[in-house]
Amino acid sequence: MTHKILGRIGFLFAALVFVSPVVLFFLWMLSLSLKFEIDNAAYPPVFIPEHFAWSNYVKVFAENNFFRYFWNSLLVTGTATLLALVIGVPAGYGIARLKAQKSAIVIMIARMTPGLSFLIPMFLLFQWMNLIGTLWPQIIIHLVVTVPLVVWIMMGYFETTPIELEEAASIDGATSWQVFRMVALPIAKPGIVVSFILSIIFSWNNFVFGVVLANRETRTLPVAVYNMLSFEQVSWGPLAAAALIVTLPVLILTMFAQKEIVAGLTAGAVKGG
Amino acid sequence: MASVRIVNAKKNFGAVKVIRGVDIDIADGEFVVLVGPSGCGKSTLLRMIAGLEEVSGGEIYIGQREVSHLRARDRDIAMVFQNYALYPHMTVSDNMGFALKLKKAGEQEMNDKVARAASILGLENLLERLPRQLSGGQRQRVAMGRAIVRDPQVFLFDEPLSNLDAKLRVQMRGEIRALHRRIGTTTIYVTHDQVEAMTMADKIVVLHDGLVEQIGTPLELYDRPDNLFVAGFIGSPAMNFIDGRIENGEFKAIGGLALPLPEGLPAGKFAGVELVYGIRPEHIRAKADGIQGTVDLVEGTGSEVYAKLDCQGQAIYCLFRERIQIEYQQSLCIGLDPSLVHIFDKATGKRVVV
Repeated sequence: MTHKILGRIGFLFAALVFVSPVVLFFLWMLSLSLKFEIDNAAYPPVFIPEHFAWSNYVKVFAENNFFRYFWNSLLVTGTATLLALVIGVPAGYGIARLKAQKSAIVIMIARMTPGLSFLIPMFLLFQWMNLIGTLWPQIIIHLVVTVPLVVWIMMGYFETTPIELEEAASIDGATSWQVFRMVALPIAKPGIVVSFILSIIFSWNNFVFGVVLANRETRTLPVAVYNMLSFEQVSWGPLAAAALIVTLPVLILTMFAQKEIVAGLTAGAVKGG
Repeated sequence: MASVRIVNAKKNFGAVKVIRGVDIDIADGEFVVLVGPSGCGKSTLLRMIAGLEEVSGGEIYIGQREVSHLRARDRDIAMVFQNYALYPHMTVSDNMGFALKLKKAGEQEMNDKVARAASILGLENLLERLPRQLSGGQRQRVAMGRAIVRDPQVFLFDEPLSNLDAKLRVQMRGEIRALHRRIGTTTIYVTHDQVEAMTMADKIVVLHDGLVEQIGTPLELYDRPDNLFVAGFIGSPAMNFIDGRIENGEFKAIGGLALPLPEGLPAGKFAGVELVYGIRPEHIRAKADGIQGTVDLVEGTGSEVYAKLDCQGQAIYCLFRERIQIEYQQSLCIGLDPSLVHIFDKATGKRVVV
């Protein structure tokens, strides 16, 4: 009996050790966002302050054009994800069904190339096209990452759906397009949800592309948070508050979609109904 | 309903010739079983009829219409797959009505046809369920229902029972047969199980290495196999094959064992030719003054006794329907009915007895 309890304690301890870096970061950020600057600079560090600095959150909204950046983020993420799905899902289907491994590898190589290496040429291209100053450069450059992501997830997903289902549909009188829309697509729903969420997480959190391509009006949230660091002073409190606010939508989305993600990532592992 | 005619059909996958020139005539309303060992091309041939595989050569006709290069959806056929291939996101009734929905049939017509098929197959109470909520046998029935609703020219079955357990398989075998009797649609059924072929078919087509070995009724194939392959494939347990020659009006096996020849065999014509003597295990009787052998193996199932005998170095398998008491290493005398013996030319594998 004691053996069992000891084992359980050992397991919990191990879990704590592994999870702690992630959790501690998050908790420390939360603590920072609720402390006045004096507590943030204190030594020994203060984890739970005597007075909560709610004003940090107010400041985020008051001192910045926060809603504008939120709207920018929403537009960039939404459009980039939508376009990625519209392009990536049929592409993944085509590659899976035609067994076009070579195209798949080409897409993978595009994904493996560091984003920064095509950032400068793309910047020049956008400038030439007079797109700088709009949100389009950010949307388009996100596609470089999100499209391969969606293609690869969907490819794996479509490969696991039995071909007989589509053959049955084509015998039943469906055209190729109807087979895709009425049979392949509904079955691949968990895969679509997974690529949707991963694509949103990428776009929402992306910083590097934004910091290069965005100006004052077209900033997205991560860039806006970065711009809170000024030359004179780093105001940790509002910075942490802003970072938490930025994280919140993705966090909520992931929590709601967690069930779908797990179903999506394990689909095909066992023979199901 | 329609007849199906396959003329010199060929299929190559790259350099591999899977179907090497097959001719089959299937009459309107006939139940034909394509049977053969795995890799013989039977499923490929069925998929060629369905339009799921391109035809590399030859023609396929359904009724008077050549369909060799038509798309699957234009051939007016229905197919039941080995793994059922039910649409997992649709209910039973949506699965069955899918083809009608694609044809833009009216609500009323769709409901009527689905209800009729459901009543034929006893699925009335399952119409709102999803495939994952059904048992294997029920799924199989839904797959058949989907085919019936279409009212197609030809039904194609691709090893539909191999995912079911033995008992259900026997039951479904009967149900498919009964369904065919009731609906009468021309049916092509693929299986590797020769018992399924024997029990279900009006006509069996035995395929081997992409070629037709023999076409005939189950009893024709059993009684008069054209060649060694069919003789060995049809019948369970398999036929005994004994190599030897004809000498002095008798068949002399290689070990020296003498066996009786069927009457009317022009023995002189085959003197010196290497032959194969075939006798089915169930055509061997225990006989006091017969050929003597030693029992090497005995398996009793209650209804029959299966034994392996060593007759002068020649292994002979026997199946006795009567309950005889024999034991390992015991001596046993057997008799063969010469009229039930098959003789094949060893070089060509062809049957030589008229």
